[in-house]
Amino acid sequence: MLKIEKISKSFKALPVLEDISFEIKKGDFVAVMGPSGSGKSTLLYSISGMDSISAGQVLFEGVSISTMQEAELSRFRLTKMGFVFQNAQMLKNLSIFDNIILPGLVAKKESAEAIRKRASALMKRMEIEEIQSRDIREVSGGQLQRASICRAMINNPAMLFLDEPTGALNSGATDQVLAILEDLNREGMTVMTVTHDQRVAARAKKVIYIRDGQIAASKEFAVRADRERELDDWLREIV
Amino acid sequence: MKLLLNLVRKDFKRNRVITTALAVFLILSALLMAGGLRVAGTMFSSLNGLDELAMPPEYLQMHKGTYDEEAIENFVSSHDYIKDALTVRMLNVGNANISYQGETLEKCLMDNGFVVQNQGFDYLLNMSNERAVVNDDEIGVPVYYAEELGIQVGDVITLQGDDYSKELRVSTLIRDAQMNVALASSKRFLISPTDLEEISGHLGEWEYCFEFLLKDGTSTAVLEKDYMDAAMPSNGVAITGSLLTMLNALSYGLVAFIIIAISMLLIIIALLCLSYIIRATLAEEQVTIGEMKAMGFPGKSIEALYQIKYIILALMSGVIGYLAAIPFGDFFSASVIRYCGQGTDGWMQWVFPLIGVMLLSLMVVLGCHRIIRKNLKSTVVELLRGQENIKKEGRYSLPAAGLKHPNRVMAFGELKCKWKEYIVIFLVFMTASFLILLPMNMKHTIENPSFITYMGIGESDIRIDIQYSEKLTQQKETALSYLENDSEISKVAIYKNGYVQSQNAAGEWEYLRVESGDESVFPLAYLEGRAPVDGQEMALSYMNGIALGKKVGDTITVVYQGQNLTFTVCGIYQDITYGGKTAKAAINFDEKDVEVYIIYLDVRDGVAIEKKTDELRSLLTDSKITPVSAFIAQTLGGITDNMSLVERAAIAVSLLLSMLITIMFLQLITAREHSAIAIKKSMGFSNRDIRIQFGIRILVIQGLAIVVGTVLANSLGEVIFGCMLSSMGAAKITLLVEPLTAYLLCPAIQLLVVLFTVVMGTRTVRNYHIKDQIME
Repeated sequence: MLKIEKISKSFKALPVLEDISFEIKKGDFVAVMGPSGSGKSTLLYSISGMDSISAGQVLFEGVSISTMQEAELSRFRLTKMGFVFQNAQMLKNLSIFDNIILPGLVAKKESAEAIRKRASALMKRMEIEEIQSRDIREVSGGQLQRASICRAMINNPAMLFLDEPTGALNSGATDQVLAILEDLNREGMTVMTVTHDQRVAARAKKVIYIRDGQIAASKEFAVRADRERELDDWLREIV
Repeated sequence: MKLLLNLVRKDFKRNRVITTALAVFLILSALLMAGGLRVAGTMFSSLNGLDELAMPPEYLQMHKGTYDEEAIENFVSSHDYIKDALTVRMLNVGNANISYQGETLEKCLMDNGFVVQNQGFDYLLNMSNERAVVNDDEIGVPVYYAEELGIQVGDVITLQGDDYSKELRVSTLIRDAQMNVALASSKRFLISPTDLEEISGHLGEWEYCFEFLLKDGTSTAVLEKDYMDAAMPSNGVAITGSLLTMLNALSYGLVAFIIIAISMLLIIIALLCLSYIIRATLAEEQVTIGEMKAMGFPGKSIEALYQIKYIILALMSGVIGYLAAIPFGDFFSASVIRYCGQGTDGWMQWVFPLIGVMLLSLMVVLGCHRIIRKNLKSTVVELLRGQENIKKEGRYSLPAAGLKHPNRVMAFGELKCKWKEYIVIFLVFMTASFLILLPMNMKHTIENPSFITYMGIGESDIRIDIQYSEKLTQQKETALSYLENDSEISKVAIYKNGYVQSQNAAGEWEYLRVESGDESVFPLAYLEGRAPVDGQEMALSYMNGIALGKKVGDTITVVYQGQNLTFTVCGIYQDITYGGKTAKAAINFDEKDVEVYIIYLDVRDGVAIEKKTDELRSLLTDSKITPVSAFIAQTLGGITDNMSLVERAAIAVSLLLSMLITIMFLQLITAREHSAIAIKKSMGFSNRDIRIQFGIRILVIQGLAIVVGTVLANSLGEVIFGCMLSSMGAAKITLLVEPLTAYLLCPAIQLLVVLFTVVMGTRTVRNYHIKDQIME
């Protein structure tokens, strides 16, 4: 689904990503880990078309997004990708519900009514129906992050990108969000997340470890009850 | 201090666009303030200088016809308060008899008199402000004609009569403290005594000016009363020094007044912008301020840190504004310098603007100090938590039916929530629109033929002046008999003007200029009451109403030929001619007392006014025939020329103002909304979408501001214009608007300029990378 071919990125001659290649298949759940400043968030934004790359190319379902014009890329992100950030980023002047449906209404792939219905269904599934009409300052961090996932899912994206999705959440909220991500992936959603949190990475099927802008190691994990310990062992080994 | 300056330098680098725009704002305010005051300083100096050197009379009485020379001499010698007196002989030559470059001066409204240089006072000066001297066959030409007709030294003026012709070479241009301005309806040419005698043998009518200088502390009203009581020759208009001063102030001071008024508006706008920028800057910096406070930095040091930038800006703007005001002010002073010279109080043009910019700088510094202090009052915790973040903004809803035009819906929604942020930009756009339209509407009103109604007469096409002469009655009869039989003329009415004496509110006697004729032919809109319909009624001009202390319904007694005539005041009308003091009543003036017959006429539809004027000129050679539009243009020519300059300057300043505020505002708003921009981008909005949303918000605000500015220019503008003209005699002016320009062209240009600025200014949206914003 997503093929990354030898991408590099530099900031003012300072290399941040160097010669990175890997592939994400449909239905994958990939976690990118690494120390602070290793380039893992830059990698996520580069391969999702939110940031430019200096060399290499990113192919999404066979189409190169590296050469797309800004408007084309915007439309591509709107219809094919969903994004969730560490601090749930929402527009202050819209209610939670309107924030969720906005990308759907802009994409115009379906009728407004269908979009509203799906938004309600997504909120119900995330157990946040009661906050529909609330202001974004009137809900908890966990609720807001779940609302962000609803928004990311509103256009039925082909792939979900998450940047430290649990970084600002408490333990209970983290568990809720992780359970949702696991459910979505189980239903076929391709997920890529950047995280520091081993609990998040332990839900992934594949973990890529970045160090100094390069892939230091990567490993696929079978879905097993003890994969958190297995991940821990692997990380000790490579760190 | 070094540390502070370093911080300022860094701040400038970081906020280059905003600081530059703010600096331009302040410089513009200082420039206009200093420029306006420089024009005012130059004007005072020039007028004072001309008065000192030319020594115009404090009172003058015109007279046509014969007079008793000895009686005048006795009158002067028997009144101690008369410091000096002069009888000026002026040879009035018809405009048809004067030609320049093959064309007669018939198209000029001015009455032209030929004089010799005076002795004692009332000197005509050359362009070096020295007493002008002309030799035989030479002529000194009023500056007015140099400006209007382009007459230059070395040119030839030809005087032609039936069997007489004389060429006079222009040896100098003349500055005339009495008759310089276009508002004065006579102009004096200087020739040698020999030439004057020669020409008078072939052309012209003598007119006399009895001129007086008074001892300090003597009122001209005292002289006026004594002069009348002594039955001194008075077949003509009486003019006081104060009337001359007013005419000069109006002609030259209007520009200074408007520039200073514009600068005041700009200063208010600049202070509003400063306040907005300081608050926006401090809002961004509140965490840093909180940290400084937490570390124990004294409040005064933090204040100084943030204030130093604005002190430097204010001082720098003051210096640049002051320096730039030198050429700027000189450009707008060119007319007064040309007409009156540099003057004798040159310091005024340097000191006035200096005081102005100093006051402006002080105002800015104190304003900043107040705003900064107010904004630094928050506690450490409030600052660190970030008040801005917890401040709740409004909300808007997306339409249930979906988003047909997402950008429009988002832009309007955000505008609804953040309208308070747009108040400053709204005020600036409104001011810009107001500034463009006000001088434009004023100029249009003055240039419109219906402006004649403010000159005390109804609307007509052509005006014919038959001035006092030995054959006045004959000329009048000839003109009337021709006009009444001309099938191309639809309406004609004749008015005779003469003088009666009346008592003002202070009990002093003064001359009252009365127009007598059928007031129903060219009806006039009256401020109060109506036109006189019988011999018992008199209408007064607005200024006369005030001076004589009369209202509609009051009775007024005037003296004509020693007889008391009592009238009821039936109406008050506006009139800016003859110093604003005229009256209308059916007084049967003797032919010898008629100063002038004025005939107004309308031509039938399809008849060209210009063509008819030319035709009448060829037939009625002794009369002065002027299309009314030209009459207005020439009488108020100086004012409209200055208005045109101000109009152009106002358009330039307003458009620059609109561009600057748009750039500044976009910088602030995009920086403030960086996270919303990032979120929108992450959702799939393109850069273009976001730029369109900003554009819609700003253009909607501008559209509203233009509407309000236009309404204000029409309503408040009328009041301002009325105030300006009330000293001339018109208190209630209806501004005439040229709809296509005012309501379509001007708004379109303003919108286009701002649209262009938005397109340029929102390019920064591209630089807001989602990653940088979200990872921040």
